[in-house]
Amino acid sequence: MKTNIRHLMAAGAVTLTASMVLAGCATSSSSDSTEDSSSATTLTVWVDSDRLDALKAAASEYSKDSGVEVKLVDKSIESMKADFAREAPTGKGPDIIMGAHDWIGQYVTDGIISPIELGDKAADFSSVAIDAVTYNGQVYQVPYAIENVAIMRNTAIAPATTPATWDEMIAAGKAAGKKYPFVVTQNGADGDPYHLYPLQASFGSSIFGLDANGQYDPKNLTIGNEQGQAFASWLGTQGTVINADISGDVAKQAFIDGEAPFWLTGPWSVKAAQDAGIKVAIDPVPSAGGQEATPFAGVKGFFVNAKSKNSVAANDFLVNFIATEKVQTLLFEKGGVLPAMTAAADKASSDETIAGFQAAAKNAIPMPSIPAMSNVWTPWGQAEASILAGADPTSTWTTLASDIQKAIDASK
Amino acid sequence: MSTTQSPTGGPSVPATASSITPRKRTFSQWFGDTGWRHLIGVAFSIYCIFPILFVISNAFNPNGTLTGSSQLFQAFGLEGFDRVLNNPDRPFWAWFGNTMIIGGTVAIGTVFLGALAAYSFSRMRFRGRRLGLITILLVQMFPQLLAVIAIYLLLSSIGDVFPALGLNTQLGLIMVYMGGALGVNTYLMYGFFNTIPTSIDEAARIDGAGHARIFFTMILRLVFPILIVVGLLSFIAITNDYAIASVVLTDPETKTLAVGLFDIVSNDRTADWGAFSAGALIAALPVLIIFMALQKYIIGGLTAGSVK
Amino acid sequence: MNNIRPETDETTPESKKSAQLRRMADKVSPNIGPLITKIILLGLFDALGVYALFLTVEAENWLFFGVIAVIILAFNWVYLRPGARPSKYLAPGFVFLLIFQVFVVGYSGYIGFTNFGGGHSVDKDQAISSLLASGQERVEGSPSYPLAVVSSGGTLGFLVVEDGKTLYGNADNPLEVVTDAVVEDGVPVSRPGFDTLKKAQIFADQDAVTNLVVPFSDDPNDGSIRTQDGQTGYRYVSALVYDEAADTITDSRTGVVYSDGGRGSFVSPDGEELKPGWTVTVGFDNFVKAFTDESIRGPLLEVTIWTFVLAVVSVFSTFFLGLFLAIVFNKPHMRGRKIYRTMLIVPYAFPAFLSALIWSGMLNRSYGFVNQVLLFGADIPWLTDPILSKFSVIGVNLWLGFPYMFLVTMGALQSIPAELEEAATVDGAKPWQIFRLIKLPLLLVSVAPLLIASFAFNFNNFNLIKMLTDGGPKIDIPGNVSNIGHTDILISMVYKIAFDGQTRDYGLASVLTILIFIIVTIITVISFKRTKALEEIN
Repeated sequence: MKTNIRHLMAAGAVTLTASMVLAGCATSSSSDSTEDSSSATTLTVWVDSDRLDALKAAASEYSKDSGVEVKLVDKSIESMKADFAREAPTGKGPDIIMGAHDWIGQYVTDGIISPIELGDKAADFSSVAIDAVTYNGQVYQVPYAIENVAIMRNTAIAPATTPATWDEMIAAGKAAGKKYPFVVTQNGADGDPYHLYPLQASFGSSIFGLDANGQYDPKNLTIGNEQGQAFASWLGTQGTVINADISGDVAKQAFIDGEAPFWLTGPWSVKAAQDAGIKVAIDPVPSAGGQEATPFAGVKGFFVNAKSKNSVAANDFLVNFIATEKVQTLLFEKGGVLPAMTAAADKASSDETIAGFQAAAKNAIPMPSIPAMSNVWTPWGQAEASILAGADPTSTWTTLASDIQKAIDASK
Repeated sequence: MSTTQSPTGGPSVPATASSITPRKRTFSQWFGDTGWRHLIGVAFSIYCIFPILFVISNAFNPNGTLTGSSQLFQAFGLEGFDRVLNNPDRPFWAWFGNTMIIGGTVAIGTVFLGALAAYSFSRMRFRGRRLGLITILLVQMFPQLLAVIAIYLLLSSIGDVFPALGLNTQLGLIMVYMGGALGVNTYLMYGFFNTIPTSIDEAARIDGAGHARIFFTMILRLVFPILIVVGLLSFIAITNDYAIASVVLTDPETKTLAVGLFDIVSNDRTADWGAFSAGALIAALPVLIIFMALQKYIIGGLTAGSVK
Repeated sequence: MNNIRPETDETTPESKKSAQLRRMADKVSPNIGPLITKIILLGLFDALGVYALFLTVEAENWLFFGVIAVIILAFNWVYLRPGARPSKYLAPGFVFLLIFQVFVVGYSGYIGFTNFGGGHSVDKDQAISSLLASGQERVEGSPSYPLAVVSSGGTLGFLVVEDGKTLYGNADNPLEVVTDAVVEDGVPVSRPGFDTLKKAQIFADQDAVTNLVVPFSDDPNDGSIRTQDGQTGYRYVSALVYDEAADTITDSRTGVVYSDGGRGSFVSPDGEELKPGWTVTVGFDNFVKAFTDESIRGPLLEVTIWTFVLAVVSVFSTFFLGLFLAIVFNKPHMRGRKIYRTMLIVPYAFPAFLSALIWSGMLNRSYGFVNQVLLFGADIPWLTDPILSKFSVIGVNLWLGFPYMFLVTMGALQSIPAELEEAATVDGAKPWQIFRLIKLPLLLVSVAPLLIASFAFNFNNFNLIKMLTDGGPKIDIPGNVSNIGHTDILISMVYKIAFDGQTRDYGLASVLTILIFIIVTIITVISFKRTKALEEIN
C-alpha cells in the first residue's frame, strides 16, 4: 500500500513538473512566432564549387534589381545529381540546380524538372547548346557554358603547334624527350571513354544514331558497327602510348612537372597548369582515323525544380537574367568558361585558351542525354581499358555492343 | 562506500613486482624483457605512419596531386592550409565544430545508453535477456548504407512536423546515430561489466543504496576505462561516417568534416588534394589528442587496482 | 559467467537476508534525492512529449501522434514503477533502436515491394502534372507576348500586346482587344479598373499565375496564353490531355489513349509507357527480379564466397595482430609506450576512405609507390589481378582494422585481474601457457561478440571496396553489364546494381539489402549458439 501511495505521489509530481515546463515553453515560443511574416522570396540554387564565385557576382546583382534573395549552395558535382533526384520528389531540394545537360534524360523520366520557355532567346544561343538542352522537343535547361576536351600543349617543350594527325603528334611528343609523349586521364580498369571519344569519332564511330528529329535514338545503337570496330583495333595498337593506369592525378602531375608535352584534357585543367607556371596553348585533337576528331560538347546550365515553390522567380532569374549577354559575359569573366550564348562567346574568344577550346569544338556534338546512355558509360570505358591492356579488340568490342544492347533492353 | 574501493586518484597506484627491477641489466636481459618490444613498436609505427606521409607531403605541397607521384616532399608551401581554412564557401571551422558537436554528443549518448543497457544485461536476469542481446547486435548488422533512402524519407517526414529534427539538422543526424547506441558497444561494456564482481553491488545494497545509486555512483566509476574506450570508438565511427551524414546534411554550414572534405575532392577534374590533405590532417588531430589525453584511462589500471 | 548471481527473485538465504537489510535501510533513510531527480527528468520528458504532441496535431500527422503518445505512456509506466527493473535501463536505448534501426529495416523491406526508383520516384499527381507540362507545345510561328498580370475583383487576367494592339483575357474569357490600357515601350502596364500585380505579388501568388490559362480565341486550336515568369506570355496547345473521370491521358497529336496500367504509369494499348511514372506497390516483382536477373545471379556465387572470405580473414588477421601488439605493449613502465600506442591508432584516427584512396594510389601497377620505390620498379598488378587484388584488399584492410582490435583487446586485457597472472607465474606457468590457458579464454569471452560484430562490419565494408578497387577487376563473363568485379562484396555489388550508372532501382536494392540482412542474421545466430557454449564453459 505504502509504495502505491508513493507511486501516485510521484506521478502527480511528474505531471506538475511537466505542466510547469510546458507553460514555460508556451510563453517563450509565442514570443518568437512573428519571425516568419517578413519572408521575402528566396531562391535556393545548387552550384558546384567551381562556378560558385562566378555566379555569386551575378546573383547579387539580380538580388539588387529584383529584391529576390538568391541563396547559393556549394554542392559537389558528384553528389549533386543523385541528391537532387532523391530530394526533389519529397518536395524538398533547391529551386534551381546547376548541372550538366546529360542529366536531363533521367530528370525528365523522374518528373522532377520543368520545361523552361526560352522563347525567342533560344536563337541567341549556339545551336549545339540548344540541341543539348532540348529533350523530346522541350527545353529543360538554361545553358550557361560549353565544355569540351582538346589538346593542351606545354609551349616550352612541345613544337609550335600540335600536328594534325595522331601519329605525328605522338612522334613529336617522343621527340620532346620527356617521360611521356602524351597523357590523358584514364581510370585504371574503368578507362575513360569521354576523353578518348574524339579519337573514336575520328574513325566515324558514334554511340547512337539520330532519329528524324536529330535526337539520339536509343533504339539505334551504332557503337558496334564497322567504324567502331576500326577504332577498337586501332586502340589495340596504342597500349604503349595510352596507359590505362594513368589516373587523372598522374596525368596532371606529369604535365605540371613538365614531363609531358601534350595533355588531352578540358578547360577545367587550365588553371592548375597555369598555377604551376606552365605556359599552355590549346589545339584541336589530332585525327587518328582520318576524319575530324570531334569531342563531345558538354553544356552546363540551370534546371528548375518541378516542385519549386518559387518557379516564377526561378524562371525570371534564369530567362530574364542569366540568359542575357551581359550576365553571360560576366560569368565568363569571373569563371573563364566558354559562354553558351553566341554573342558572349564571341567576346570571350579574345581569350586564347577559350578560343582554342572553341576551335576544337567547332563541329562538336552534344553528349547524349538520353537515359539509355547510363547503360553505356561504364562498360564502354572498361572495354577500352581492357583493349589497351592487350585484350582482343574485335571480340571485346563485339561483347561490349551486345552487353549494352542487353542492358538497354532490360531497363525498359 | 565499501572498503573494497581504493583511492582512484593516481594512475600508477598498483606497484606490481615486475616494476621493481634492478637498475643494472645486461643488454640481452634488457632486450629479452623490453627491447624486442621497441623493435616491434618502431616497425609497426613505420607501418602505420607510412601512408600518412603521403598526406603530410601533399598537404604542404602547393600543387600536389595525392597519388600522382611516388616522390615525397618535393615542394613546400602552406597554400593547401590556406585554401582549406580560408574559403568562405567551405567553412572548414564550421564543419569542424559540427563534427565535434555531433561526434561528442553521440559519443556521450552512446556511452550512457549503452552503459544503462549493459548494466541491466549484466546484473539482472529477465525473460528475453538473451534474445535482447542477440537482437541489438543483429539489427546493427543491417547494412545502413543501403537503407539511406529509408532514413532520408523518415527524417524528411519528421522534419515536416518537427523542423528542428529533420533533414539538414544536427539533431536529426544525432538521433539517427543514436539508433546505433545499443549495439556492438553495448557488448563491449557488457563484457567489462561482467568482470566486476557482484559482491560489490551486494555490499552497497546492504549499505542501503538503491539500484540507481549503485549504478551511477559506483558501477560507472568502476567501469570508467571501458566508457572512455567506447566513447572514443563511437566518436571515431561518427567522424568517419560519410554515407549517412552526406544524405542528412546538405547545406555547407551544416556539414561534417567527412562530408565537407570529401566534397573537395569528389570531382576528379577539380579535386584539390592539397587543401583536402591539409584539412584531413587537422581533422585527424582531435582523435589523436583525445586518445593521448585519455590514454591513462584507456590503459590505466583503474579496474586492475580496485577489483580484488 | 558463474560469478554473477541473479539479482531479483532467487532466494538463497543470503540474499533474502540482504533484501531484508535493504528494506530496513529504506525505511530508516528514504532516498529522496534520486526520487526528486527522477521526477524532474520525467517531468521534463513529459513536457517535451506533450509539446511534440501539439505539433503533430497542428500538422495533422496522426501516425506521429500515436507513436509519440505510446512512447510517453510507456516511459511513464516504466519509470513510475518501483524497484530495479531492466526496462528502466533499456528503455531509452531501445526507443532509438526501434525508430532508427528496426523501423528503417522495416521501411526498407516495404520499399522492396514498390517500384520506387528512377522513373517512379514521384506521386501520381506530380507525374501527371509533369506529363502535362511536357505536353505543352508552342503554337508554331506564334510570337512572344509582352504581358502583365492584372486582377479585377479577385479574378486574375493577362494584359498582352500583339502587333501594337493590347488585348485582355482571363481564364473564362478569351483575349479581346481593349483600348483603354496603358502601354509603355510595347509592354502593357495597366488598365483602368484593374490592379497590376507587382513582381513580389506574382512571386507570392505564383501558383495562380502559372496555372492561369487564357484562351487565345474561341477556337481551341489557336491555343492559350500561359506565362512562366509573369512578364512574357507564349501561346501553347496541349498535346497531352488528362481526363480526370476516366483517369487517362490522350495524346491529341496521335489520338492514342494512355491509361493507368496499375504498374505506376500510363500505358498505351500497344504497351508504350509514358514517363515519368509514379510509385506503387508491385508485390513480389523485385524478389522475382533479384532471383532471375542474370547480371545478379551470374557472379553471385563468387561474390558471396569472397564476401565471407574477406570478412572471416579480416576478423582474424586484425584480431590477432591487434592482440599481439596489445600484449607487446601491455608492459608497465616500458619507455615510449605511449608514443607507440598513439602511432598505432593513427590508421584508425585517419578518415578511412582517405586511407583506402592512398593505398590504391600506392598500389597502382605502373606508378604506385610500392612497385616503383619499395620494389625498385617491379610490375606487379596489385589491384588488377583477380587473385592478387584479393590479397591486396585483405592486406589494406588489416592496416585499416587492427588498431580497433588493438584498442579493444588492450582494454579487455586490463580487465583480467593481475593476480591471476601472478598466481600462475608463482605456480611456474610459462608466459605462453598463461596466455593460452588463462588470458585468451577470458579475453574471448568479452570480445567474442565483438568478433562477430567485426565480422558483420567487414561483411558490409563498402568503403574499403569502393575506394580501393571499386570491385575490380571485372569478372569476365558475357552479360556482366553491372561490372561486377572479382573483389566486389555483396554490398558493393548491390550498390552497383541499384545506384551506380544504371537507372536507380531502390525497390530492387531494398530486396537485395533484405537478403543480405537475412544471410548475416543466420550467420550471427549460428555463431551465437557457439559463443553460448563458450560462455557456459567459463
